[in-house]
Amino acid sequence: MTSTFAVDLEKMSRTANVGIVVLMGLAGAAGHFVSFYFHFLTVALFLLVLINLYWRYGQTSHTLLANFGFLPQPRYVVESVGPEFRQYLFALDTEERPFSRVERAEVYRKAKGIDSSEAFGSLLDFDRTELKLRHSFYPVDKDDLEPFNVAVGSARGIDTTYQIRRPIMISAMSYGALGQNAVRALARGAKLARTVMNTGEGGHPKYHLMEGCDLIFQMGTAKFGVRTEDGRLDEAKLAAVAALEQVKMIEIKLSQGAKPGKGGLLPKEKVTNEIAELRGVPLGQDVVSPAHHIECSCAASTVEFIGRIQRVSGLPTGIKFCLGRPDEFRALLQEMKREETLPDFITVDGGEGGTGAAPKSFMDDLGLPLFDALPLVHRILLEEGIRDRLVIFASGKLISPGKQLKALSLGADVAYSARGFLFALGCIQALQCNRNTCPVGITTHQAQLQRGLDIADKARRVANYVHALHHDHVELLAAMGRSSARQLTEENVYLPARAPFSPPTEEAP
Amino acid sequence: MTHPRLTHAAQGIAAVLLLMAATMKFMGDPGSVAVFTRLDMDPGGRYLIAVIELTAAILLLSPLAALGSVVATGVMCGAIIAHVTQLGLVTNDDGGRLVGLLVIVLVCVSYVLVSRRKEIPFVGSTL
Repeated sequence: MTSTFAVDLEKMSRTANVGIVVLMGLAGAAGHFVSFYFHFLTVALFLLVLINLYWRYGQTSHTLLANFGFLPQPRYVVESVGPEFRQYLFALDTEERPFSRVERAEVYRKAKGIDSSEAFGSLLDFDRTELKLRHSFYPVDKDDLEPFNVAVGSARGIDTTYQIRRPIMISAMSYGALGQNAVRALARGAKLARTVMNTGEGGHPKYHLMEGCDLIFQMGTAKFGVRTEDGRLDEAKLAAVAALEQVKMIEIKLSQGAKPGKGGLLPKEKVTNEIAELRGVPLGQDVVSPAHHIECSCAASTVEFIGRIQRVSGLPTGIKFCLGRPDEFRALLQEMKREETLPDFITVDGGEGGTGAAPKSFMDDLGLPLFDALPLVHRILLEEGIRDRLVIFASGKLISPGKQLKALSLGADVAYSARGFLFALGCIQALQCNRNTCPVGITTHQAQLQRGLDIADKARRVANYVHALHHDHVELLAAMGRSSARQLTEENVYLPARAPFSPPTEEAP
Repeated sequence: MTHPRLTHAAQGIAAVLLLMAATMKFMGDPGSVAVFTRLDMDPGGRYLIAVIELTAAILLLSPLAALGSVVATGVMCGAIIAHVTQLGLVTNDDGGRLVGLLVIVLVCVSYVLVSRRKEIPFVGSTL
């Protein structure tokens, strides 16, 4: 299936925007020379031209209209009558994947600061697979809740220990995957909402740094921005990045949910001067991200590498992976205990993880889903007796407050989301992240598509989204009779018999 | 930016003037007939415009005032086109009185249009 929607829309809209002006001229001429009745058309077109000019140049809150003019307007009209249309003609509201309209609409409403209450009942199908949270007979008073606070690095007692104050952070998205406007809007939103943003593995975080938010620097397997020419760690460069005031933590990406066990290739056509400089790679060559860090070929070398990063950066340092084999994970933990080198946090990425581009079979068929992996990781850490010495971040489609609290109940300490924040930026799930044609200017570097993404406006929506999530967390926690997210346990989640999540088992590989 | 009371006043003024204009057109006022004859639209166009003006006036006094202001703005734009391209600013030796009224209505309905733009059907949510 190849769609050329964005390219076509661009050409069509250019023609249409000029066309209505030409038509107005023609109608005017006809009204003057043929019959005055043609001026009915002139007037109608004049009003359309006026409103179109406003959409193109006078407003900043609707990216599609700013980029293309009146042509995509039917989208807004159809969307306003959409629930009926879809219900009768197309997919149900809860059917769409990866995110159903119900899930997306909640984020949109939160980001715009609109009340998100619903009437007449939930649209979810509880008889099948939905996990639910358990409330208490004895809710606590919201005012008695402890403020959210997770300290990363405190177990090692380092003086760069970082306090996370918001239960939801912006997950790894690099400059490269996202355009500069999107990165800056997210960063400014993170600053407004006082949450943390992950830089992704895109090298020196130039655009992430611009807005003054706290950052987690991610180091992928190619170590962009902190690599030597042959792709090994350049300690001096890492120390320089870690010394930046805004960089608060380092995340070593061992694997990611969308393509666990696979590296990547950045084709030389995409290596612009700026990308080459930020990522520290040569111009005119394909850049290969290996499937694993060159330094990490077994448990011992991986632990040694983690220790080295902690030493060089002086910051709380963690690892990110998508769980494959629990026995390997346990062996890695045992090696960590032997060497007395523990990461300060572990990011568990669900096998459903999203990304700009990954081979379909990797996206579909590899890696444990988050709600299976999370309790397993949590339990293995408990069994090894080191659960209290590190913090767990969880990521994988955690875009709603309920899902985030389920993750927190199943073992996580803080939730991460990437795509939730893309929706807050105005993502319409056009599924073109890998084509540089994103119609709402997020995953594209084309200036004319980024034009409509107003940084100030979207940053406010990002902040609104975080605030609304935080508000819902507080309400849910109170209803569950818990005074802090730390008190959440597996007991707080109801698991239906046929749920995708099964009680943690460590099956033999 | 816009004041609700001013918006209501503008709606009232515009509606009254539009009603007067529509009545004159329906009654076959000699001035109206002369104007529409010069545009080669009499009597069909005269009645058509009168009906539209009446509709706009009623809408302006109803909860659909935003829609009324769109319709009225359209009619006023058409009238301006007529005066600029064919009739001239002084019609029937009135010293520009007709054009003056036209401008007053246009200012009023433009004000209503701007202050109630969010209420315009279909496109309002994006304005």
